[in-house]
Amino acid sequence: MRIFNPSFGMAAAGPAKVTLQPVNWATDAIALISNSKPNARELLEGVRAMLGAHRPVDNIHFHAKNSASQPAPKELIEKVAKNYKAALLALGD
Amino acid sequence: MKDIAEQEVIDIGDMDVEAFNEYANEQGWSDGMPLFVPSEAKVAKFVETVRGDNRPYPPVPPRQIVPTLQALAANAVMAGCKPEYFPVVTAALRGVLDPDYNLHGTLATTHSCAPMVMVSGPIRHELNINCGTNCFGQGRQANATIGRALGLMLLNVAGAKPGEMDRSTQGNPAKFTFCFGENEEENPWTPYHVQRGFAPTDSVVTVMSGEGPHNLNDHGSTTGDGLLTTFAGGMSNPGANTVYGKGPMFLIIGPEHAATLKRDGFTIESIREELWKRSRIHLSRISRENLDTYESTGHKPDGDWLTIGRDPGDIHITVAGGPGKHSAFIPSFGGTTVACTRIAR
Repeated sequence: MRIFNPSFGMAAAGPAKVTLQPVNWATDAIALISNSKPNARELLEGVRAMLGAHRPVDNIHFHAKNSASQPAPKELIEKVAKNYKAALLALGD
Repeated sequence: MKDIAEQEVIDIGDMDVEAFNEYANEQGWSDGMPLFVPSEAKVAKFVETVRGDNRPYPPVPPRQIVPTLQALAANAVMAGCKPEYFPVVTAALRGVLDPDYNLHGTLATTHSCAPMVMVSGPIRHELNINCGTNCFGQGRQANATIGRALGLMLLNVAGAKPGEMDRSTQGNPAKFTFCFGENEEENPWTPYHVQRGFAPTDSVVTVMSGEGPHNLNDHGSTTGDGLLTTFAGGMSNPGANTVYGKGPMFLIIGPEHAATLKRDGFTIESIREELWKRSRIHLSRISRENLDTYESTGHKPDGDWLTIGRDPGDIHITVAGGPGKHSAFIPSFGGTTVACTRIAR
């Protein structure tokens, strides 16, 4: 007997591939992004403090989603892409 | 040989139903209940029922694949649907694919939300959808299998595997199935789909990512005002996602409660306004630590009170159920919407 596969689908056309640029973790601007759940900010503060032992932190900035339950707004993603060479995301829950 | 996930049609040999169910479990296709076999012949019958709906489906998050009608129909067959239910199921799927429904968030969350499916219009009776006594419960094939089919689509097409992409802390029995019809015949006001701008003769599916129904029992109140006091007390729930997630919720009024409210002059609009005022949550019912979390994420109290949503419009109201002094409150995930889709026929 032949059946139809209930999980079958066509792959969606993905976004254009982006070539990742090398990051200089000692000097480059870094975005620290919270998912807006408890303890995500605290985790990122710890990361920033640890980075501060090895490099300047004046270009390491905190950002957060507007809502823990919603995707990050396009404006935030564009802002991070435009202004930072790397981003670290913390998922609190 | 191609990986199973990449094959649209699979030859399973001469498996009987039991063997097929073992196979389906191994593939991760099951919600844990027995499945019907999605044979080519059965799937073809289902697909025929939606031939008039040619709009393409967008990629389904979180898995981001574009489903074929045959794959969707396979899930409806497995759920135990009749072919004529399939347009309702596909309309429900289109509803949860509304970007504001936030399908990815509602499937991946630790919250217990499940897709609530409410059917309005003439198709309720054509398909024998239960709108009356025990409408949220067991007993009707349409209610049981339409909700289940949507759940299987979210499992198999969207990829919401429990413990993997579906991270719900405790889950919810409504994830097996949660489908009911409006009781338009005993609704003394306007049916929900007409409130949303559809014609009374349209058949419409409404979806919301909700918790299961929370009962609102009031055998004592003999006035609409008294009933609203009880409703507001049940809706002012400090543990509901909508308190800090701020989103929609449903009040499903039982017909006897609805008749009392109507007799006392209440309308959908005045019920909504009264409940908005009366269902606020006093800060004394919220821990200091939890309030700190709310405030840090932008949910400031209004004086000594927290509201249960963004504004009165978050309270959606209709009538369902049978005889008895019960109504129900269904809070949502919060970051979601109530999406209505006309059933293509």
